[in-house]
Amino acid sequence: MASKQESAERGYTLDPVTFEVLKNSFTTIVDEMAEQILRTCHSFVIYARDFSSALCDPNGDTIMQGSGDIAVHVGTLHTTCKSIIEAFEGDMHPGDVYAMNDPYLGGTHFSDVRIVRPIFHDDAVIAYSLSNGHWADVGGRIPGSFDISAKEHFGEGLRITPVRIVDKGRYLADLVTMIVSNTRAPAAAEGDLHAQIEATRIAEQEVLRLVDKYGRDTVITSFSEVQDYVEQLTRQRIGRLPDGTWETEDYIDYDPSGGEGLIPIKVKMTINGDAVHYDLSGSHSIVGSFLNSAYGTTFSGVIAGTKTFFPDVPLNSGFYRAVTVDMGPPGTVVNAEWPVAVTGFCSGPYEKIMNSIFELWSQIVPERAMSCSFNLEYLLVGGRDGRSPGRTFFMWYDWMVGGWGGRHDRDGSNATSPIFGVGLAVQPLEGQERLTPVVTSTHEIRPDSGGPGEYRGGCGVQKGGTLTEAESTVISYLCDRSRSITFGTRGGLPSLPHGVWLNPGTEDERFLGAVFSGLDIGPGDFFTRPSAGGGGLGDPLDRDPAAVLEDVIDGYVTVDRARKDYGVIVEAVDPDVNEYALHEDATEQERAQARSVRLERLAEPPEGVAERYRNGQLDVLDLVRHYGVILDWGSGELLPQTTETFRAMLARRAVAYW
Amino acid sequence: MANLRVAVDVGGTFTDICVLDEASGSVSVAKVPSTPDPIDGVLLGVAEAGVDLRDVVLFSHGTTVATNALITRNLPDAAMVTTRGFRDIIEIRRGTKDDLWDAYKDVAPPYIRRRDRLEVNERIGYSGEILETLDEDDARRVSRILARRGVSAVAVCFINSYANPVHEQRMKEILQEELPDVAVSTSSEVLPEIFEHERFSTTVANAVLSPLVTGYTQRLSDRLAESGYRGDLLLLHSGGGVMTPRAVEQLAVRLAASGIAAGAIAARHLATLCGFDNAIGLDMGGTSTDISLVYGGELRVTKEWFVEYGYPIMFPSVEVLTIGAGGGSLAWIDEVGALRNGPQSAGADPGPACYGRGNEQPTNTDANLVLGRLGEDLIGGAMSLDREAAERAVASAIAEPLGLGLDEAAQATIKVANANMADAVRLISIRRGYDPREFALAVFGGAGALHGSALARDLAIPTVLVPPNPGITSALGCLLVDVRHDLSTMFLAEADTVDPAEVEGEFAKLEDEARERLAQEGVSPDQMSIQRFLDMRYLGQWRSMSVRAESPLDIPAAAARFHDEHEREHNYRRDDAPVEIYRVTVHAVGVTPKPELARYERSGARPEPISLRSVHFEEEDARVETPIYTRSDIPAGAVLEGPAVIEQLDSTVLIPPGVEAEIDDWLNIRMTISGEA
Repeated sequence: MASKQESAERGYTLDPVTFEVLKNSFTTIVDEMAEQILRTCHSFVIYARDFSSALCDPNGDTIMQGSGDIAVHVGTLHTTCKSIIEAFEGDMHPGDVYAMNDPYLGGTHFSDVRIVRPIFHDDAVIAYSLSNGHWADVGGRIPGSFDISAKEHFGEGLRITPVRIVDKGRYLADLVTMIVSNTRAPAAAEGDLHAQIEATRIAEQEVLRLVDKYGRDTVITSFSEVQDYVEQLTRQRIGRLPDGTWETEDYIDYDPSGGEGLIPIKVKMTINGDAVHYDLSGSHSIVGSFLNSAYGTTFSGVIAGTKTFFPDVPLNSGFYRAVTVDMGPPGTVVNAEWPVAVTGFCSGPYEKIMNSIFELWSQIVPERAMSCSFNLEYLLVGGRDGRSPGRTFFMWYDWMVGGWGGRHDRDGSNATSPIFGVGLAVQPLEGQERLTPVVTSTHEIRPDSGGPGEYRGGCGVQKGGTLTEAESTVISYLCDRSRSITFGTRGGLPSLPHGVWLNPGTEDERFLGAVFSGLDIGPGDFFTRPSAGGGGLGDPLDRDPAAVLEDVIDGYVTVDRARKDYGVIVEAVDPDVNEYALHEDATEQERAQARSVRLERLAEPPEGVAERYRNGQLDVLDLVRHYGVILDWGSGELLPQTTETFRAMLARRAVAYW
Repeated sequence: MANLRVAVDVGGTFTDICVLDEASGSVSVAKVPSTPDPIDGVLLGVAEAGVDLRDVVLFSHGTTVATNALITRNLPDAAMVTTRGFRDIIEIRRGTKDDLWDAYKDVAPPYIRRRDRLEVNERIGYSGEILETLDEDDARRVSRILARRGVSAVAVCFINSYANPVHEQRMKEILQEELPDVAVSTSSEVLPEIFEHERFSTTVANAVLSPLVTGYTQRLSDRLAESGYRGDLLLLHSGGGVMTPRAVEQLAVRLAASGIAAGAIAARHLATLCGFDNAIGLDMGGTSTDISLVYGGELRVTKEWFVEYGYPIMFPSVEVLTIGAGGGSLAWIDEVGALRNGPQSAGADPGPACYGRGNEQPTNTDANLVLGRLGEDLIGGAMSLDREAAERAVASAIAEPLGLGLDEAAQATIKVANANMADAVRLISIRRGYDPREFALAVFGGAGALHGSALARDLAIPTVLVPPNPGITSALGCLLVDVRHDLSTMFLAEADTVDPAEVEGEFAKLEDEARERLAQEGVSPDQMSIQRFLDMRYLGQWRSMSVRAESPLDIPAAAARFHDEHEREHNYRRDDAPVEIYRVTVHAVGVTPKPELARYERSGARPEPISLRSVHFEEEDARVETPIYTRSDIPAGAVLEGPAVIEQLDSTVLIPPGVEAEIDDWLNIRMTISGEA
């Protein structure tokens, strides 16, 4: 508790008014940067809010980060700034601007291009402004620069180590041309670069205005006091919580270089006085795909997960002093090093870390509890557009919303952006149809996708499309949780498996899985996939039958699954006028019956269950929710090791609470 | 017989009335409490103002009826019919949340529940080609279901209908056959623009508001007619113009920000009257402050706004930035000892500590009272403020924890509040490339004139304008407006290569429709004014900017304007990058004749203060014996040197030391702010 005493006694030298005014000014500055980016960007990924802005102090520590920033950049901007300082210290000049995208220096992935501007006053750097944006493409083998099969980064895309792109005010056009020429859309890339450079200039103007008004010493003092403030605020909140150690684990589906079997990511959290410490050692070694995470993004996952339980605390490096992380030894999925491919961290370890942290904090702060939320997914279809005379390159680069986990006193949120970036907006299909030869089949909520629970997980959605006039087209998918299915807690049940289906319901039907890369498809091919709902929270047999009835009327839950998952008997009397009847006696009987068999089902020999799936007696939701059996959903082949781990997980998260 | 113009603005608490006598140009005002049926309040207010409706030539009205209905979800039973596979577009939205970090703060549910969103088989492609013909049996089946359900409004929202409306139109016909009395809104009529969620969301808002707003305007028209008004009721819409009840039947959603736009229009009016092309409007009330911007005599408008996060209404709307800072905003010290201000507010009830209605937390109003800027007795004795309660609140919540004196603590409270407002003004001005030094600050609301001079100093704005009745802002805004329609159509082409005749053709189509709409509203051809705009962007950008276009068209000139605007607003231009036309827009205005406002004679008389009060000024860092004036005592032409305080019924004007205030010919106060504090 010593550190707590120290920090509480650390006095502020600024008067409270100046402090508050400057703190709020820094928020305004980073939000002004965000506004500028949104109004001028070219990348549709940036426009969908996959970007962030920060103001850093002369040490590279963040003073303030944008209030609308994407979660996944949190906790990575100061490392970028420090890398730039290390590269250019002693050779920085007013009017310089630098760029980098290196995940091995604390970046995220190659698509996230970071622009840094030193802010000078009287020939000394007093701050840095930083703009990070996800370019639509940075080259490499696969359009969109997501190569799921990559094991090393070579060929994934252009790696930009720290470089100078503006030298004392002179735009280095030759170098920029070299960088953007390595992308599939050079003009758009250069447009984004311009937008980002100008955003950093706005911050420079505003910081210098504050220096003019309040004096340089006051502003520099406020840079550190704003960080101290966040640290103190965080420590006070943590200090009120009980000391202790909590641990859990979550899983990536499998290692393409190994056999079947879930890949554990372990998170141990210790609260000691006014600090919280995470230990990720014991996590699995790197996997043979790009679903690995380097230290920067692992740190980000921990910070973003923790921050969810401190929603009103501003974000800067002060937070990182109260929240510390031991990544464990190098060479694991959460601490991968050069040249291991890490571009897919966002669908791999990142959300496993966040959801694990949600689960741990849900025990400590139950009134903010939340079960697992759907995993980020990106579907990419890229090729030549047969509708255009020049057969121009097209990219249908699609991500979906999904369901969030059930909560302490309410259902999970339906159809919401991924926890990876709540500001990440889905694209309008009418825009996609103009730009690409893909006709969207559906974009709708998927019934029964919410994990059953006393508080149901939010619903996921279903979206797909048919390829029309196209040539040389490939499809790739970056996702996970086809086997490590979005889970419930406190007795709640899982959602449904992720994965893309090609030509479902035809002779050519194929299940492509949740991670694959560069498969050829042609005109007329139809692909579709669900996003998971959130996991349920609490025993579904305790859910208020009236709430199940409402869900049935709205079509969030079907009559059939109301019975199977909730033991609630609903009769569709006259659906045309929304007339449904709830049968209370039958519901009681059904629930008693369900209670009497549910433990046995989870212990049934898995091969027999798989057989009943293959011959149509059981469906996929029966298997994951009531039998705890995981198959290759295409072939129907049992995955014994995966099933064993999955059943143990259900025992821990569901059965223990029944 | 007098020729009167009457404007009525119905707010949540008060209904304000502004009356202009066309013959004399004089303006009078009245204020009455709003009533459960807002129409009663309107007529009460008219009576209170002493107006005989038979003398009224023009009656305009701003209302929050539509806004409130959307917020409270007090909406009629409505349904949506959409393309199979897409009934959840308005629930999926773009997926984002307003609050990024709080997992317990959800986006509001859609205006129409999932159970009331029905699907039919049909599909239009991106280019307008029919991929799947509308299944008429299906359409009829759905219509009959809706008839059985007894809905009172239907939104028809088909994918890609902006490119080909034929299916939506046929669906509408079938619905009208099966449900003859039900209002049907189709997305291709309401907003023929690309992007399904934005179009559907706007259409759904239109559908759910339609029965409600149409009924309201009809009842109000009838009541006014009963009392002798013979003209058209003119309704202020979000875009800053007015429309008639006939137009409202088609586009109810345009009233969704009616009340909010009115305040901004008042700012423009005041600035224009005083000879300023550029002004920032600051309307500071009890719980929030609305900030708007006038540039070159025009209000900034936006197409990206909503009443509730996630449900965009894509009609041009006067851009207003609302922040949670008002007279009732609470001052508080957070867990770590930082002094904060708002966004929590004591509101009007219980209100500031000095109201003595149970709130003991200090507010900005309490701090102003402690500092002597507000008097204990509001003029007319309508209300008295408890100074000791204010002092207790500021002392215990701010002064003692921070170790400050009472005045210091109150001053600190006001400084933080002012800085928050200044930040908001920066976001809407400097951030968009506007230099505040070229602007006037037009202040309104009960508290605007207390804070205006300090804000202006902080932002280096040289002039502060205070109208004669700062508390009647919105009614004033409704008084001098034109009939206005905004029409647009998607048009994607590169500016360099497009055939100008094709663009000219698009303009011609819109202009014909605009003239027809104006004619329906009784505007004669010589009163019609049509402005052209092209929305442009650098090829590959996502957002566009609207620039004026001429008739006949000169595309290179418009493109040059785009480069200039891009540079002004975003700091840079790319002269060698191709410019894309994104949208063709016309603003059709039916000009209503504007009478001259009365000018008052400069009598040369010097006003006498009613008293002296000890007021704390930041500039002096001390209390100063300050003369207190009554607004109605001050004639045109009078000049007051700060420090001084001017009190009136609904507002208090603070003139700090070093500031000179002049009363102009229309009785506006113009304060000249010099230099930095």
